[in-house]
Amino acid sequence: MIDHILARENYEIAKKLLDAAALRQEAIATNLANLETPGFKRIDLAPDFAQQLARLSGNPGSTSADSLQPKLAEDRLTQSLRPDGNNVSLDRELLEMNRNAVEYEFLTQYASDSIRRLKTAITGRVQ
Amino acid sequence: MNILPAIAVTSSALDAEKTRLEVIGQNIANAHTTRGPDGVPYQRRTVTFEAQLRQVAGDGGLSLASGPRVAGIVTDTTPGQAIYNPAHPHANEQGMVEMPNVNLSHEMVDLITASRSYEANLSVVRTARQMAQRALQIGR
Repeated sequence: MIDHILARENYEIAKKLLDAAALRQEAIATNLANLETPGFKRIDLAPDFAQQLARLSGNPGSTSADSLQPKLAEDRLTQSLRPDGNNVSLDRELLEMNRNAVEYEFLTQYASDSIRRLKTAITGRVQ
Repeated sequence: MNILPAIAVTSSALDAEKTRLEVIGQNIANAHTTRGPDGVPYQRRTVTFEAQLRQVAGDGGLSLASGPRVAGIVTDTTPGQAIYNPAHPHANEQGMVEMPNVNLSHEMVDLITASRSYEANLSVVRTARQMAQRALQIGR
């Protein structure tokens, strides 16, 4: 029963998205770390993660959340204005980092709420 | 999983930026040094960065990338400006003194860029810590 509640699709996806947000933080940290490295290309989550997620939310139940696998990839599409080919922009990365942190906070709250609901069901008390 | 995402990457960047700040400080400090221990005017030094990016073979995705590394400190050998000052103890027979090739405005611009990068990396550390705290609060 508990297994069933914790294996709910939303909860599973929240776990995957938390992983993705942590990985994204790592990518942004790498980008900011290499702000001055000549020829460095910014990295980010591979775009196919968003596609997989869209496919999953389009027809729930067809594929399991286990198949979602966030990965990092080099972003070669962003134009570089610098002569050394580095395409990291300080403002963009800082904005993305803040957005990512808020997203992470939302997801941890969502996961907490799922666990709290289960606790309420067990104890019968709303904390 | 690493509990503080990306701290290792950021620490190497902080390290590299700090080296850069030190070298810029050295250049500014020696902007008027007309004789070094080797008998020539001070020559400005620049730091070169190198990315360390490890790719996992076959996987297609990137592995956890790491931050920059100081590849080396290079001496800029372009000659400095010569100014006419016969009273200077380092003046040659024609009364010319060779000055260091440090351009203060270039150094100041570099100094600001380096300190901004340092600040950006510090804010990465702050965010990473907040995220780790959030993760520890799951279920409370």
